[in-house]
Amino acid sequence: MGEIRIARQSDYDLFSPTTPIVIDNGGSTFRIGWAGESDPRIMFRNVAFRPRHRSTGETVTVVGEHDPALFKYFDCTRSSWRSPFDNNVVYQFEIMEYVLDYGFDRLGASSSMAGKVDHPILMTECICNPVYSRAKMAELLFETYGVPSVAFGVDAAFSYKYNQNLGICAEDGIALSIGFMTTHSIPILKGEPLPEGSCRTNVGGYHVTNYLKEVLSLKYPYHAPSITWEKAEELKREHCYVAPDYPSELQIFKKETKEAEEKKWVWQLPWVPPPQEELPSEEELARKAAIKEKQGQRLREMAAAKRSQKITDLENELHVLETLLSQLDEAELPEVASSILARSGYLSRQEIESAHSRVSQSLRKARGEPAVTVEENTDTATSADKYPLVSIPDEMLTPGQLKEKKRQIFLKTTSEGRLRAKQKRAEEEMMRERQNQLEEGRRLENPELYLEELRAKYKELSEKIDQRKRLKTNGNGNGNGNGTGNGNNVSGGTGRGERLNAAQRERMRLLTTALFDKGKGEDTFGLKDEDWQLYKLMSKDTDDDDDDVVDPDEAELERVAAKLQEFDPSFVGRAEAELMQSTQEPPRPRALTAEDYQVVLGVERFRCPEVLFQPGMIGEYQAGIDEIVSHSLRRLPNLDSSIKDRMCQSIIVTGGGSLLPGLEQRLETGIRATRPYLSPLKIVRAVDSVMDAWRGASVYAASELFSTQTFSLEDYNEKGEDWLKRYNIVYSLYD
Amino acid sequence: MEADVVRSEMVLPPVMPFKRVQMGDKYQKGQSRGRYWKHLKQLLQAENFISLPLDEPNYLNIESPPSMYPSKKYCDITGFEAPYVDPRTKLRYADPEVFKRVRNLPNDHVQRYLALRNAAVIIR
Repeated sequence: MGEIRIARQSDYDLFSPTTPIVIDNGGSTFRIGWAGESDPRIMFRNVAFRPRHRSTGETVTVVGEHDPALFKYFDCTRSSWRSPFDNNVVYQFEIMEYVLDYGFDRLGASSSMAGKVDHPILMTECICNPVYSRAKMAELLFETYGVPSVAFGVDAAFSYKYNQNLGICAEDGIALSIGFMTTHSIPILKGEPLPEGSCRTNVGGYHVTNYLKEVLSLKYPYHAPSITWEKAEELKREHCYVAPDYPSELQIFKKETKEAEEKKWVWQLPWVPPPQEELPSEEELARKAAIKEKQGQRLREMAAAKRSQKITDLENELHVLETLLSQLDEAELPEVASSILARSGYLSRQEIESAHSRVSQSLRKARGEPAVTVEENTDTATSADKYPLVSIPDEMLTPGQLKEKKRQIFLKTTSEGRLRAKQKRAEEEMMRERQNQLEEGRRLENPELYLEELRAKYKELSEKIDQRKRLKTNGNGNGNGNGTGNGNNVSGGTGRGERLNAAQRERMRLLTTALFDKGKGEDTFGLKDEDWQLYKLMSKDTDDDDDDVVDPDEAELERVAAKLQEFDPSFVGRAEAELMQSTQEPPRPRALTAEDYQVVLGVERFRCPEVLFQPGMIGEYQAGIDEIVSHSLRRLPNLDSSIKDRMCQSIIVTGGGSLLPGLEQRLETGIRATRPYLSPLKIVRAVDSVMDAWRGASVYAASELFSTQTFSLEDYNEKGEDWLKRYNIVYSLYD
Repeated sequence: MEADVVRSEMVLPPVMPFKRVQMGDKYQKGQSRGRYWKHLKQLLQAENFISLPLDEPNYLNIESPPSMYPSKKYCDITGFEAPYVDPRTKLRYADPEVFKRVRNLPNDHVQRYLALRNAAVIIR
C-alpha cells in the first residue's frame, strides 16, 4: 500500500477548531488528515489486533501494520486481526474506536488539552449505509470524542467530484468504485450521486487477493506457509492483470505457446541447496574397512568362545550321565539301583539312556559333525515292540488290554502319518531345490530372456488376481445391496451377467431358502445350535479372504516378485507403484532442486482478477463489475436516453481495486456489450484511484459551505433517527 | 514493556487525553463483547426494509441482481474451461491428466477447492 505514514504529527494545535478533520474510513485503509490539504497525514490498514503481552500478561491493542519482529513479545495465537467492517458496513464499534484512537493520536490530538476532539469531522461511508451503523458512528464521535459536528459522505462521489474538477470527467457520469469487499456503480447527475440508480456487487480487491492466496496454497502445499496475505497482495499488485478476453487468454496458456511462457512469472523462494556430500577419500574408506574387519573379527571370536563353552558343558553332562549309567550297571542290588536313580532324578534307566543319546547328538552337532539320525533306527526297530498289542486280535485281550490296544493303534497311526508327512515335505523340498537349480541355470545362461519371462509371468499373474478381486467386489457390491430382505432383488446379481462362483451360489441358495421358508409347519429354527451356523455360512465377511489355504496364484506372484526384485533393477512392486502415485510430493530420496522452491504464476495472473468480472468463479451469483453499470442505468427509467449516453461518456473507475492493468479495456468491452449499438462510451481511470476519495473529501470539507452540511449532537437528538436516515449531503457546494 | 516495543509506540495507551470516556471504563474487562455487536445480517433484519417504500434506495435495494450471463464453468485446479465434473468429489476438471490429480487430492484440499467456489458442504 505504498508508504504507510505513522509518524505522530506535531502540529495539531496549530489548527483552529473550525478546521475539519477528514477521514476516509475505507475497508482496507483508514486515512485521516486535515481539510484543505492535498494528502492525508496518516494512513494505515483498517484493522486492530488484541494480543496478550507475554511478560505482563495484560491484553493490549495494536492498530494497523507494524514491524513483524516486534510481535514476538506478544502471544498472538489467541487473537486475530479484526476489522470493524462486515462487508462494507461498520458494525464493530469497539474496533472502530481503537482505530479512531490510533488515528487521532497519530494526528497529534494527544497533545491537545481540550479533553475532546474539537474539530468537525467529515467521514466517508458506503452509499445507502444502514441507519443503525450511521447512528452508532455518530454516537461514537459525539459522545466519546466530543466532536462538535459530523458529516457523512460517499467516497466514490468525492472521488468523482475531485476528478470532475480536474476536468477528467463531466458533470453527468458514472462512478465505478472498486473497493475492498464491494464494487459500486453510482450514476452522477449534475454532480450529485443518484442512490436510486446505484448498484452494488459483492466482489472487490479482497476477493481477488484471497483467491490468489488460496489457489497458490493449494497448488503448492509445501510452500503454503510462505504464501501469506501480505505476499499475495504484493504478487497481485505486481503481477496480476486483467485479460482482454478471458477465453482466448486461457487458450494461449492451454496450448503452452511461447507467448504463454513469456507471460509466466516465477517467484523463486529462498532455498539453500543441500551441502554436497564429499566422496569419502581413499584413506577414509580404508579406515572404515579396517574398523569393520576388526568388528567382524571380534564377533567371530566371541561366537567361537561361546561354542567351545557349550561343547565343554555338553561334554560334562555326557560324562555325568555315563558315570550314572556305569554306576547302574555295577549296582548288583536293585535297591542300590533305585536309590541311585532317585538321587539322580531320572525315573528309569531308559530315560537316562535317551538323555544320554540326546546330549551326545547335540554335542556332535556343536562340534560340526553330521548328526546321526538315531530316530529312524528306533522307529523301525521298535514299531513292533512299541505296539505289541496291535497285532494281537481282539478276542484274546482283556478289556483293559483292549483299551491299551486302542491307544497303541492311535499312536501308531499318528506316528506313521507324521512320518509320511515328513517324507512328502522332504520330497517337495528336493523338487523345489531341483527347480531352483534349473532356473538358476537358465538365468545364468540367458539373463535377458529369463527376465523377460519373469516379467511376463508377473504381469499375467497380477492381472489374474486383479480381475478376480474386481469380480469379487462387484459381486459383493451387488449381493450386499440386494441380498438382504427383499426376495425380489435376489436375482440382481445374476442379471448383471457375472458368473457367481460356487460359494456365492451356495450363499444365494441359503438366503432364498431362509427367506421363503416361512409358515411351512412350525418354525423350529433356533432349537438346535447348529442352526445358527447358517448365518456364518451366509455372511459375506467370513468369505474367501480368511481361507487357510493360501491362494496359489498369490503365492506364485509373491515368489516371482521376489525373484524380480532380486534381479531386475527397474522393477517396482505393485504396492509401491500405487504408493508413489498417491503421494503428491516427490519421493524423498531425490535431491531438492531450485525448481522445487519456485512458485509459478501462469494462469493465476489473470485468473484471479477475473473474479471481478465473473463472481460466479467464487460462488457469488451476482453480476460482474461491467454488468452492474448496465443494471445501474436500467434503474433510472425516468432518465432520457440522451442523458444516459452522456453519462456513459464519462465513466470514472476509481478505488484501490482499479489499479489492475488492462482493466479499462476489459470494462469497455463488457459495458459496450450492454449498451445500444454504436452508443458512445468512454471509460477513464481516476487520477489517483486510491487517494482521490480522500482528496475530494478534503476539498469538500475546506469549502465555506461545508458547515451547512454537518449536523451536531443537538440536531441528532432533536431530529431523531428518521431524519438521520434521510440525511444526505449535497456534493456540489462550490460551483 | 520491552524497550523497542515502547519506542515503536505500537501499543495503544490505556488513557487518551482527547477522549471523554476511556476504553477501560466503557468496556469492562472480562466481558465478552463479541456477541454484543450486531453483524450486518442482523443489522439489516432490524432495519426492516420491507416496510419502507420500494422505490427508495436502501442497502438491500441497491444490491446487484444475479448475472444475466450464464456462469462459465472453470476447472478448479488449472483454471481452464471445464466440461467435466468428478461425480465423487464434485470438482470440475479440464482433461484426463487433471482428473488424475483430482482423484489423488487429499480430502482437505478437495474441501478447500470447493469452498473457494462456495460449493463446500458444511456440516455443523
